[in-house]
Amino acid sequence: MSFRQPSNLPGFGLTFGFTTVFLSTIVLLPLAALVVTATSLHWSDFWHTVLSARALGSYRLSFGASLLAASINLVFGFIIAWTLVRYEFPGRKLIDALIDMPFALPTAVSGIALTTVFAQNGWIGRYLEPLGIKVAYTWLGVTLALTLISMPFAVRAVQPALLEVQRDLEDAAETLGAGRLYAFRRIILPAIAPALLTGFTLAFARAVGEYGSVIFISGNLPMKTEITPLLIVIHLEQFDYGGAAALGLVMLVISFVMLLTINLLQAWGRRDQVRAAR
Amino acid sequence: MSIVLDQVTKHYGGAPVVNDVSLDIGDGEFFVLLGPSGSGKSTLLRAIAGLSGIDHGRISLHGRDVTHVAARRRGVGLVFQNYALFRHMTVAENIEFALRVRRMRARARRQRREELLRLVSLEGLDERLPAQLSGGQQQRVAVARALAHKPEVLLLDEPFGALDAKIREELRGTIRQVQRELGITTVLVTHDQEEAFAMADRIGVMNLGRLLERGAPHELYSRPATRFVATFLGAANLILARRTADGIQIGATIVAPTERASNGRENEVVAVVRPEEIEVAATREALRCGFLARGVVESVMFTGALERLRLSLAGGPHTPLLTLGEGAAGAALQVTRTQYEQRLFEVQPGQSVAIGVRRIHVLPTPLSSFTACAPTVQEAEELSRQPLLVELAARMATRIATRCEPQLGQPGVPCQGTDSFVGTTVIAANPQSAARADWLLRCGARDLLVLPEAARAPQRVLIHWIGEAARSATLAVSASVLRHVAAEAVYVGVFPEPQGGAQPRGMRELLDARSEAQAAHGLEMRTELHFGDAEQQLTRRLAESPAQMLIIGVEHPAQFTERFRALLVSGRWPVLIVHRGPA
Repeated sequence: MSFRQPSNLPGFGLTFGFTTVFLSTIVLLPLAALVVTATSLHWSDFWHTVLSARALGSYRLSFGASLLAASINLVFGFIIAWTLVRYEFPGRKLIDALIDMPFALPTAVSGIALTTVFAQNGWIGRYLEPLGIKVAYTWLGVTLALTLISMPFAVRAVQPALLEVQRDLEDAAETLGAGRLYAFRRIILPAIAPALLTGFTLAFARAVGEYGSVIFISGNLPMKTEITPLLIVIHLEQFDYGGAAALGLVMLVISFVMLLTINLLQAWGRRDQVRAAR
Repeated sequence: MSIVLDQVTKHYGGAPVVNDVSLDIGDGEFFVLLGPSGSGKSTLLRAIAGLSGIDHGRISLHGRDVTHVAARRRGVGLVFQNYALFRHMTVAENIEFALRVRRMRARARRQRREELLRLVSLEGLDERLPAQLSGGQQQRVAVARALAHKPEVLLLDEPFGALDAKIREELRGTIRQVQRELGITTVLVTHDQEEAFAMADRIGVMNLGRLLERGAPHELYSRPATRFVATFLGAANLILARRTADGIQIGATIVAPTERASNGRENEVVAVVRPEEIEVAATREALRCGFLARGVVESVMFTGALERLRLSLAGGPHTPLLTLGEGAAGAALQVTRTQYEQRLFEVQPGQSVAIGVRRIHVLPTPLSSFTACAPTVQEAEELSRQPLLVELAARMATRIATRCEPQLGQPGVPCQGTDSFVGTTVIAANPQSAARADWLLRCGARDLLVLPEAARAPQRVLIHWIGEAARSATLAVSASVLRHVAAEAVYVGVFPEPQGGAQPRGMRELLDARSEAQAAHGLEMRTELHFGDAEQQLTRRLAESPAQMLIIGVEHPAQFTERFRALLVSGRWPVLIVHRGPA
């Protein structure tokens, strides 16, 4: 197979060149700088920074809360998308527009707003307090903030896939004797599974990188409610660029491995379609 | 009977999309529902499948009432236009879907699958995915899948719509063959009349939610009962003619001496002449069939096996043709000729020819054309442009003439014109309309429409008659009107207040009226029983909504216009008076 694919479209050289330059400048170069800065540290200092108890605690919270938030959005994002695609009701367009709000809002605003609602004397927080549930300044608050800001990704990824699942398919399943649950499990779910996975991935990636909204609601207690991006900022404030870069590198590697795994999973799930396309 | 529909009605946003459809389909019959898009045929099919509920009526399959049974328990197989195959499943998995739902064992499943694949000639493609198959193959899989659970009824919703002509032909053959082999009762929905002719044992033609006619293909083609079926099934020239004592007369010529007016009373009729039943020749003497008129060839088009001619009839603006040609040129007679006929007599555009008719079919419809009648020419012209009238005439593919009667409605002044009132006479609803109606009815007008200025298309048509002599004609006229408007028909029976004890007479008359409407005129209508004075009860019922129309049969005009004066001059609802005296 030759590197250059025969195509009727002109400009392969130009577009490929542009892609390379663009990706290098915007993505690869900064990443390389990160790695270089991190290597300025001594091995022992590097390990000391990235394996400190505080750092380990922050990884657990960052990735744990992000996974949890993405999982919540997998379920509820699907339900929202389903409602928006399948039903006509007054105010549907409004809700559809509302989905994108977390995109547009500065994340700090989201954080402050959430804290107002869920703090011990907040609108909802004051009713949860007697039940022994604390949201603000705990890992629960962190999860909540991450769920909020990553929700649009889950909804928007599933919506077009759901639109493509024709009603006829369900009708066909029904005339063939399938109940609703059976039809959903065997017909709809397989059809939108790739989109669900994409939504999950995007939501997860977004949550891992979140900083602004979390620092307001988390309380930032070391070992308990401190996320890795915050720890990086703390290192930076102490002019410990090497330490910050080291933590960044660890996040980069973990994120990359997780995203790659999900992508491979997806490719494996789509092998049928790929085979059919040949 | 395999499928029995009884007065099935489905509304969508107030308007009926399926309107009072009753139909029996026999065991092993291949029934085709034919109609233009939006005629309600697909909705009806989905109702049979159980995928959409109905508002009124009953559906039974093989003697089992399934009106309230879920689709998955009805035992039907449905094939969709876009195949609706499960794309992530292989052909085998698709076909076995219904069997898996029923927890059939793997071995039995495989056996059934192989049987089905053989039936649709797709052996060996078990492990393919739908995306790896051609459109025709996909639809074959869909047919096999729909048959897997041995349904008692197979429903096909425009199954060939997405396929190209050649594959379509092939698949038609396969489906017909499979259907015969299994002897399964089948309903196919299509808008393609050629497809309907090719496949059907019987065809049902739908328009505006109503099942207009049903019958064997050749029967419907050669003897349609309605304008719609005449023009939808193949091409047709609709010609306004008169039924006289000597036979059917078009212009000045008698073309069908056998069809004579029965009681010596002349009336206007609509005749159907198929393009292939028209002969052209150089002179009247050279024709080998009945002479119609002389005409001029407007255009000649070669289409392979057949040649299409458009002829304009000599005789100026008073052409009896109802089918309008494309363009402003006006009416043109469509003619198709075989190669053999072309060789016998070649024609050029502009040539003058003699036109003959081999076969003519007179529609049984009682409504032929409209004549807007008023005291002045200007008023008549104005009335003829009334939107509802224009719409009605357009839907019925007929025309609106105008007629000026200066003496209209003046008491004691007899009608002067020697010309009798033929077709449906239309007058405006105004304070004089009761007197005018009376005048016209006395002059012999048989169908009279009193039309308010702002009348809207009716959503409900009330039917009533005073005097048994008018009964049959009223039902016939109602049936004809209701074929052209999307409205529900309600027969309002009004009887005197019962005095002591029940009155079984009213109920019986209601039921008789309904069965006569159904049997003799193909009209499905609801029936209502009211007690009291007819005018009061009808007015009360009309007052419920402005979008209504009244069709009222009248035996004695004098009593009628007196009693119904208020209703006729109110100008709120269109009233169609059907006047038939005792024979």
